[in-house]
Amino acid sequence: MTVRSSLRAGLSVGLIAILMVLIGITQLSGQLVRGWFGLPSATPGAWLILLLMAGWAGSRAYKQAKATSWGAALAAGAVPGAAAGLLLGALMWGIGSLLANGTDLRQWLAQLSPANVELLTLGLPPLASALVILAALTAAGAAGAALSFASERGQWGAAWAARRQGLGAKVTSVPAIEKFLARPNARQIVLIAGLALLLLLPLGVGQYWNYIIGTIGIYVILGLGLNIIVGMAGLLNLGYGAFFAIGAYTVAILTAPEPHNIGMSYWLALPIAVVVAAIAGILLGIPVLRMRGDYLAIVTLGFAEIIRILLRSDVMTGFTGGPRGIRSVGGPELLGIDLNNETFFTYFILVGIVLAAFVIYRLQNSRVGRAWMAIREDEDVAEAMGVNILTYKLLALAIGVGFAGFGGAIFASRNRFTGPEDFTLQVSINVLCLVIIGGMGSIPGVLMGALVLKGLPEILRQLDDYRMLAFGALLVVMMIVRPEGLWPSARQKNELRVAEEELTAGPGTEVVEA
Amino acid sequence: MAMLEVRGVHTYYGNIHALKGVSLYVAKGEVVALIGGNGAGKTTLLNTISGILKPREGTIWLEGERCDSVPPHDIVRMGIAQCPEGRRVFSRMSVRENLEMGAYIRADREGIERDIEHVYDLFPVLRERRKQVSGTLSGGEQQMLAMGRALMASPRIILLDEPSMGLAPMLVETIFDIVREINQRGTTVLLVEQNARMALTVAHRGYVIETGNIALEGPAAELLENPRVKEIYLGENPAPPA
Ligand SMILES: Nc1ncnc2c1ncn2[C@@H]1O[C@H](COP(=O)(O)OP(=O)(O)OP(=O)(O)O)[C@@H](O)[C@H]1O
Ligand SMILES: [Mg+2]
Repeated sequence: MTVRSSLRAGLSVGLIAILMVLIGITQLSGQLVRGWFGLPSATPGAWLILLLMAGWAGSRAYKQAKATSWGAALAAGAVPGAAAGLLLGALMWGIGSLLANGTDLRQWLAQLSPANVELLTLGLPPLASALVILAALTAAGAAGAALSFASERGQWGAAWAARRQGLGAKVTSVPAIEKFLARPNARQIVLIAGLALLLLLPLGVGQYWNYIIGTIGIYVILGLGLNIIVGMAGLLNLGYGAFFAIGAYTVAILTAPEPHNIGMSYWLALPIAVVVAAIAGILLGIPVLRMRGDYLAIVTLGFAEIIRILLRSDVMTGFTGGPRGIRSVGGPELLGIDLNNETFFTYFILVGIVLAAFVIYRLQNSRVGRAWMAIREDEDVAEAMGVNILTYKLLALAIGVGFAGFGGAIFASRNRFTGPEDFTLQVSINVLCLVIIGGMGSIPGVLMGALVLKGLPEILRQLDDYRMLAFGALLVVMMIVRPEGLWPSARQKNELRVAEEELTAGPGTEVVEA
Repeated sequence: MAMLEVRGVHTYYGNIHALKGVSLYVAKGEVVALIGGNGAGKTTLLNTISGILKPREGTIWLEGERCDSVPPHDIVRMGIAQCPEGRRVFSRMSVRENLEMGAYIRADREGIERDIEHVYDLFPVLRERRKQVSGTLSGGEQQMLAMGRALMASPRIILLDEPSMGLAPMLVETIFDIVREINQRGTTVLLVEQNARMALTVAHRGYVIETGNIALEGPAAELLENPRVKEIYLGENPAPPA
């Protein structure tokens, strides 16, 4: 039974390894490792990733088999390694033979250049290279199992566990730190230090990172706004990007020389953009929110597409610049000083976030917040308690999309440009994703979500083509490990617990005071 | 003048004629029971009174004020509170937060605190569980919470929709004792029930509703003796011929 399951694990690893070879991930891994450690060739890195996978499968198989002796552990680990090695070896044998016959595999699989293949065949004849791969992966599987065995059984494991505990204890046992943590205002001091760091950050990181921090910041603002609509009032808005566009275009039209040459000051145009977005939300919401059911999701989705298509169409060229968009959007200035630079915008966005978070925090703990929460749970009952649900839903929508307008206004003037292609469906989906990933209804969650969703792809940029692949895999892992979001609100945790208890009828749960 | 008066109300769900000219009244200080089988129209009537459904014909009056076209969120402000069928507590809020939600229309902080204490006195188990997430309360506790929440609006009249549904016999007695106590403290009660015996024991007067029509009405004691009520709603066999 366990042999079969470890065989199956080995075959899966083998298949994944084959895919990785075919799409060139082994090559990428080889180049990265070569770059990091300054190695002369890409071969070790290419092998490393395969060996690690086999080792992991081996260690897992050992744990499932619950082997109690060295021999049994090694055998348990060797099985999946051998299975993976067999698959990959067969592939490399085939590829090697084809290459030897002079077939150019690149016509089917662009990554299978002779150089890429040679990373794994090591220049050996096909059959020999297959055997080497089989042997290497089998050994790696066994080694993985042996490592697990040693760390669990041997003094290694004990020493390691003790060290891990000791490490935690040591941090707090440094007298100075202990004394500091004992102070009643330790939390505030840490918070202020963190804030100070955040405030100095834009000065030190340069243009490029300021741009990225700013982008993340704009998404935080968008996320905070959508969080009011989706997380707090429970209304599904799939076209949030439309209001982002409305904010951006309002500012652009009011401040840019073309197509209208109104030349309004940015500081005046900004609040107007927020109000215009909010009004658009109300106008859209009044007919839709009167109806029971999730019509808002569909209508907002359609609305976003209509806005984008309108912006792109020639009909609107005279008014919104059509497909070419609007150039030379005005930016902030103060007393004649032009503040239109990345560093200033980063600060501006940070201030915007703090303001937004404060507003939301106050709303959450107010009558309004309670009403939203009640609506989200049971509309009819909330109404019977005296909550005017239409009014409160409109309020949530208006405030939420007002944030989008604010974000759009910053976005357009920071880029000094706005065009229809900035506002694809992708924007709406990204914002919704970051709210969900962060944890619905939670302010810090939005921050985490934006960092992950907009920041991680930048950090992963080194992986070029595989960036989105790695990103997708990370998201999947994250949702498995933390289904309630990265930093869920206390209430969200309750929610999951309620759902669980409804299934298991376990003991009572106390509300965590939010 | 009656506390609540329903005059010739017709309510429809699309083409379905659910209430076919229902008239009834509840005098101030009374407990009135409305009994009837499944699908008779009891919940429909309560939802019509509390504004969730609009009657197509007929009128509804609260102490002489007409209230049949008032939206539900204002009905509670007029003094009608509903404790809905199937409890429907806000399951992700704590017990206390549910009670606070019940007092949503009120602004008198001290009065609210006092009434929360009253509810805790009526249902001591809720005091114990005040911080618990309501979704994890037992069915009986949720029923108590739903009743307490309706009371928090400090209504003139409270509409209870099948408060004994799905509860163990012991708890059913407790619930009806509390209905009596609520009434003695000055709240008028319209009590919808399938448990006719208990409801008519607590009530002063009763109505029997059948497929959208009031079939019988009268003092509770008389209805308990009515042969038809006995046969259909109390599950007794008709007396054998002597
Ligand atoms: N939303 C609805 N749409 C259509 N018909 C409905 C709807 N709600 C109730 N009805 C119908 O109206 C009639 C009265 O239903 P109502 O819920 O008032 O019954 P009830 O007396 O409360 O029954 P029960 O004791 O089972 O709760 C039933 O025939 C029911 O099928
Ligand atoms: Mg009913």
